[in-house]
Amino acid sequence: MNDGERRKLQSHELHSARSTAAIIAAVLVTAICLYFMFEAAMKSLGQDVWIRSPGQWGQWLTDLPDSANPLVLAAGSLVLLALGLFFLLHGILPGRRARHAIPNERAIVIVDDGVLASTLARRARTEAGVTPEQVVVIVSRNHVDVQLRPTSGIGIDAAVVHAAIDDELRANRIEPVPDVRVHVAETGVVGQ
Amino acid sequence: MNRTPRITNRIVLTLLGLALSAMGLHGLLLVAVPAYAEGWRGLADQVGTGFTGLLDATTLEGQRDSWLWIVVSVVMIALILLMIWWVAVQGQGKTGIFVREFREEATRGIVELSAAVPEQALKASLAGRPDLVTVSVTSWTSPQHEAGLRIKVQPRLGAAPHRIAEDLAELVVDMDGMLGASGPVVIHLATGARTRMSRAERVR
Repeated sequence: MNDGERRKLQSHELHSARSTAAIIAAVLVTAICLYFMFEAAMKSLGQDVWIRSPGQWGQWLTDLPDSANPLVLAAGSLVLLALGLFFLLHGILPGRRARHAIPNERAIVIVDDGVLASTLARRARTEAGVTPEQVVVIVSRNHVDVQLRPTSGIGIDAAVVHAAIDDELRANRIEPVPDVRVHVAETGVVGQ
Repeated sequence: MNRTPRITNRIVLTLLGLALSAMGLHGLLLVAVPAYAEGWRGLADQVGTGFTGLLDATTLEGQRDSWLWIVVSVVMIALILLMIWWVAVQGQGKTGIFVREFREEATRGIVELSAAVPEQALKASLAGRPDLVTVSVTSWTSPQHEAGLRIKVQPRLGAAPHRIAEDLAELVVDMDGMLGASGPVVIHLATGARTRMSRAERVR
């Protein structure tokens, strides 16, 4: 496995393949194609049409500004636009998954952000001397948010927790290194 | 690690998205801008007349309708088949055979290791670990490289990811020597229902 393949596999693990949107799109296109195939086949066999023949559909499109109720037309167009934007955004946005990579010699190592968050939460909790319920850690691609609620009467040094989280991130060699923000709540809770 | 055609997915989704958005915008403009609606009426009339002419030109003697409709049906069937292929190919690549080897001269026959071999080996060596809730191993093929392994483990809440990753990578290196295969390996430390339900990892 060379470097290029490695990078490709890693980026596959970190980005969505867009399978769900692809399947929805395929079903939609299949339904439309089935309908028009049916109408065209009816036409070519010289049978009566089902809803409208393709030619009549063309006429319907031409008359659209006059014949259709403007409200219905606007609503239908909005639905089409929303559907189009859904597919378009799925096509062009990177679709990052909530995961981080850890460099390793042999394997490609991927960590869900949830796993990382629980590790950081444990470190923050032991450093601050609080119970698990008093710590919330949110991990995103570039940020780690640590929220602490101190026990009443016992202060928490945010700088110490910050340093500990930084140390933990360094020990786990998370790439790219996220920014750490530690927030200690103003109000405390009664010790548990 | 699967063989989902990611680039095809992106391209087709983008094109379909552009087409649908254009249609939606067109409909909105028809309602909102009278001048645009007027222009559309003229253009659509022209295209319609041209199309009717084409239909007349392609209608055979003694037939009621143009043979163009048969072409349209065939194109639609081709599109439907393409769409079925597109759905079928999503997430492909899982294999039941990890290694298959044969030598042309000396021996006859083929040696096959089923995907269960690396799976059972890894599961057995990880069975005693207290910091992992579940382990699942799957094998994946690709035309470019040897069969790859995907090791998905759910660590207990609070376990150190790098330690688990290093231990697993060591196991993989051992197994490379044992099985004589060294395809790509993905180690995925995941969260799931089992991790949330089970007790948290104690300080080691």
